Amino acid sequence: MDQLRKTRACLCLLTLLLSVPTWAADAEQQGIRFEEIAQKAGIRVPHHTRRFRGKNADVLHMFTSGGAAVAVGDYDGDGYEDLFVTDSDTGKPNHLFHNNGDMTFTDVAVEAGVAGGNDPKSVVSDALWFDYDNDGKLDLLVARFGTPILYHNEGSGKFKDVSSLSGLNKFGNTIAVIAFDYDNDGRLDLLFGNYFKPENLLDLKDPHVLPNNLDAATNGGGVTLWRNTGKATGIFEEVTDKAGLGKITGWTLDVGHGDFNNDGFQDIYLACDYGTDHIFLNNGNGTFREVTETATGWDTKKGMNVDVADYDNDGWLDIYVTNITDEYMKECNMLWHNNGNSTFSDVSKETGTCDTGWGWAAKFADFDNDGWQDLFVVNGLRSAGPESYVPLLLPVMTTPGLDITDVNNWPDIGNRTWSGYQKKRLFRNLGSGVFKEMAAAAGVDNTFDGRGIGVVDFDNDGKLDIVQTNADQPLLLYHNVTAAVGNWIELKLIGVKSNRDAIGARIKVEAGGLVQIREIDGGNGYAGQSSRRAHFGLGKASKIDHMEIRWPSGRVDVLKVPINSISYIKEGQGIVPR
Amino acid sequence: MITKIHPILFAFLVYVSGFAATARTAADEYQQALKALAANNYKEALSHFESAVVAEPDNAVYSNEYRKAIIQSKEFDRALDFFEKRVREHPDSANLHLNYGFAYVDKIPVAGAITQVILADRALTQFTKSVELRPDWIGYYTRGQSYLFWPKIFNRAPLGVADLEKAMEIQKKEPHRGYHVRLYVALGDGYWKTDQLEKAIATWRAGLQEFPDNANLKRRLAASGDDLKTLIESGFDPAKRVNTDLSDLWTN
Repeated sequence: MDQLRKTRACLCLLTLLLSVPTWAADAEQQGIRFEEIAQKAGIRVPHHTRRFRGKNADVLHMFTSGGAAVAVGDYDGDGYEDLFVTDSDTGKPNHLFHNNGDMTFTDVAVEAGVAGGNDPKSVVSDALWFDYDNDGKLDLLVARFGTPILYHNEGSGKFKDVSSLSGLNKFGNTIAVIAFDYDNDGRLDLLFGNYFKPENLLDLKDPHVLPNNLDAATNGGGVTLWRNTGKATGIFEEVTDKAGLGKITGWTLDVGHGDFNNDGFQDIYLACDYGTDHIFLNNGNGTFREVTETATGWDTKKGMNVDVADYDNDGWLDIYVTNITDEYMKECNMLWHNNGNSTFSDVSKETGTCDTGWGWAAKFADFDNDGWQDLFVVNGLRSAGPESYVPLLLPVMTTPGLDITDVNNWPDIGNRTWSGYQKKRLFRNLGSGVFKEMAAAAGVDNTFDGRGIGVVDFDNDGKLDIVQTNADQPLLLYHNVTAAVGNWIELKLIGVKSNRDAIGARIKVEAGGLVQIREIDGGNGYAGQSSRRAHFGLGKASKIDHMEIRWPSGRVDVLKVPINSISYIKEGQGIVPR
Repeated sequence: MITKIHPILFAFLVYVSGFAATARTAADEYQQALKALAANNYKEALSHFESAVVAEPDNAVYSNEYRKAIIQSKEFDRALDFFEKRVREHPDSANLHLNYGFAYVDKIPVAGAITQVILADRALTQFTKSVELRPDWIGYYTRGQSYLFWPKIFNRAPLGVADLEKAMEIQKKEPHRGYHVRLYVALGDGYWKTDQLEKAIATWRAGLQEFPDNANLKRRLAASGDDLKTLIESGFDPAKRVNTDLSDLWTN
């Protein structure tokens, strides 16, 4: 009898094992899936690149087509992430899409007072949510080819332009901006990446504004670093030179931050077009030291994007930079694997993430919650008529003595295409140091001229959605409808001694045999700011073995959080109500 | 005594003795360069190679070995400056123009993507001058192969095929040489690049008849579709160093 019972039990167990496929196999079979719902969600608005006037209008239009940006942030604190989306042409309004909580949005930019910025002398180019005064409400910075606009969040859905008090009064052709606390004083500072040198392109006195070398340009806008003083007026003071960043003269397209050497201070990576990128380590005393030569080596590529993540779960932050890889230019992207000794090795070829066409934004995120961060990359410069602009560029590049800095020496582009109609790439992280491209299967292989990416869980279902901005084309919203996803947690950190947004905080989660880290970032990724909620996929793990948070203040909290839910965590206090 | 020598004979002796001195100087410099190179003394080696080329500008061996030393020492700009001066002094030297063109090609793998285009274009200018001065096998083969490196969008592959076909005409009149196999590979690749697959296959097959052990031809004939595309395109990767060593011409 006992033997019969044992046999039955074994058979039952065997049946159970055979009838229930493992989660991993299921996920692999069903794969990551997105549904594009921008129209239904009410956010399918087009972007407009600035139209210039005069003889060289065409060329300047092309060189400034990078300002389609998105910033994600819950500005009204209702628990649903909202969207700020830029436009760039004269008089065109920006959009503040309030998340209605049901995957629809309402544009409230005008009522909120944040629609402006595209005046005849300024071009809106990027945007950033950050709580500069630590009052618990997200403020908004609108970056421009011009001077930036700083909006203070007054609450009740209203913003006040405080630019005149901000101290941010220096003209720059800014294309990227991030907020982080470089000196760990509890206040968020700003790093601007500037593309052109500080000449107003809308009032051009001298046409010599284009790169002086297409592989090693030295006449770009560099970067500017602004320290948050905490004062009511003159909120920010420029410290670029003081911090050791004043010698950068490249054509900066993106700036990114992270603690690359695990010393508790935020380091920076600068991606530059037409020449070398730069990497700086934080000395911990308000200054940085350049380590490019030893960390990565100098390059001649067209750096477009900086995203920072530990893609291989080894406890060290890696860096992904997009470049140009097309029929006529084979640069290959750079996936800088952090070797743990302040050096990096480019593993883009080995990982399968080298070729993404004319790359723009790229973001790491765990779209199927399997514990490994995947990678979404947008691309494409200009999709227009059947003729290509590239052959017209050959004389510009090869004519001896031609002054390529002069906009008048560049041919008009007209209706020609330049690296257009490129399919977006979604790389699924296989967890073995290799990624598998699957954009078509996932439904995200659109051919728009992508620029920015926002990764965010709009409907709080634990699955990360994607917003994609496009130059002169409509916004896209990809709702994550992946059927087989793993368990997850999302953590919204609230700094007390540290900056309120907890930017720079590092979370370590041990679950299911994996050790994952995330750092809260202040706008990493070209033309996009993603959610500051840390999202972890846990795969099959039904509990977290260990979790700790290292705050920018240096405090370390060890705590437990429930899985498959969003937790709000305050520095030193643990889980708190929203 | 000397006054009794016929003036023409005197002139001849002066010419011959001068030529012999030049040749000896060039050969000596070349030997010293090789010796310095063997000792990894690039500074000395380059200097002696340059003296040899100055003494005998149209000597393909000296220029070729000089470029090989330049590649080892990575002093690409030095070679470009050097050849630029030499072709200005000797504009009718086909070998100087050829090696000047190769000096541009030698720098391509270490240059940025846009600079690669500029270097490739300048190389073509020198190859054209060389082939205009001396329309021979190496001139047409080199320029034809060079055109094939350009991406399709620039539409230079048909020019490459035309040059390579001219090289093939010359080759067919020459006795069998080991380096001839390169042209079968290149011309076949040119036909493939200009969407003439049948002609490509016929060319590779003809090559295989003459060079039955050649692995490059065998690989091409064994591949098809995307595999063939990958195989051929991998040979035109600007990041990879092209073998510009001409010593096959006099050793093979």
